[in-house]
Amino acid sequence: MLDRRSLPSPDDPEQALAAVVALRLLADQLERKAVAEAIDQGWSWSQVADALGVSKQAAHKRLAALIQPNQREE
Amino acid sequence: MFQKLRQRLRDMRTLKDLCLGAEQHANAEGQQMAGAEHFILAALDLPDGTARRAFERIGADPRQFRAAIARQYGEALSSIGLGSLQQDPEPVPSHTGVYHTKASAQTLMQQLAARGRTHPGEPLFGAHVVAVAAGAQQGVAARALRAMGIESAALAGAAQAEIASAIKR
Repeated sequence: MLDRRSLPSPDDPEQALAAVVALRLLADQLERKAVAEAIDQGWSWSQVADALGVSKQAAHKRLAALIQPNQREE
Repeated sequence: MFQKLRQRLRDMRTLKDLCLGAEQHANAEGQQMAGAEHFILAALDLPDGTARRAFERIGADPRQFRAAIARQYGEALSSIGLGSLQQDPEPVPSHTGVYHTKASAQTLMQQLAARGRTHPGEPLFGAHVVAVAAGAQQGVAARALRAMGIESAALAGAAQAEIASAIKR
């Protein structure tokens, strides 16, 4: 967990919001890498969806196109 | 009338180049949708050279803008005690289907369209993208320009000067 003391001061919303945007990008990069690796290791899209806490349809719709074609199939 | 039609076709081609270029820049950075910052990168690629010259007019190196985008992400993450983003993110495949952009790019396009209505007949140049993008106070593009030490009003002024100069040619 992030230490609350490391969060930008509430007096500086610009910096805090910039961090939010950067974190979202970091999360997207990590998600794509992790999902590609999971599929490569033989995980099903159901398992990926469960791990992400979303429906299988949502996971496949959002992520299948972002990883290599030979990894998209179940 | 024929001249107007030719200019309209040229502007449509410029717009298409901007949209495709912005998407390619976003995809290369591992992002699916282009933001205003990617439209600036696409404008810098345009053959008219006006976007590039707008930066150079105020002593800024347009080739540093891409690195400035990465730097502002890095600084933002450092502010909360985290490391930077992946140095060379895996590019994402280009999207097929309806063209989607981030909200910052949608705002930029709306402002470009509004300018087209208030300046009918004025050709579309890369400097127009810079002039509009420099008007944003918040967002990735604004932070990247600040990371380069660029004062947005100065860049907007330089872009307007490049537009005026390009029209005269």
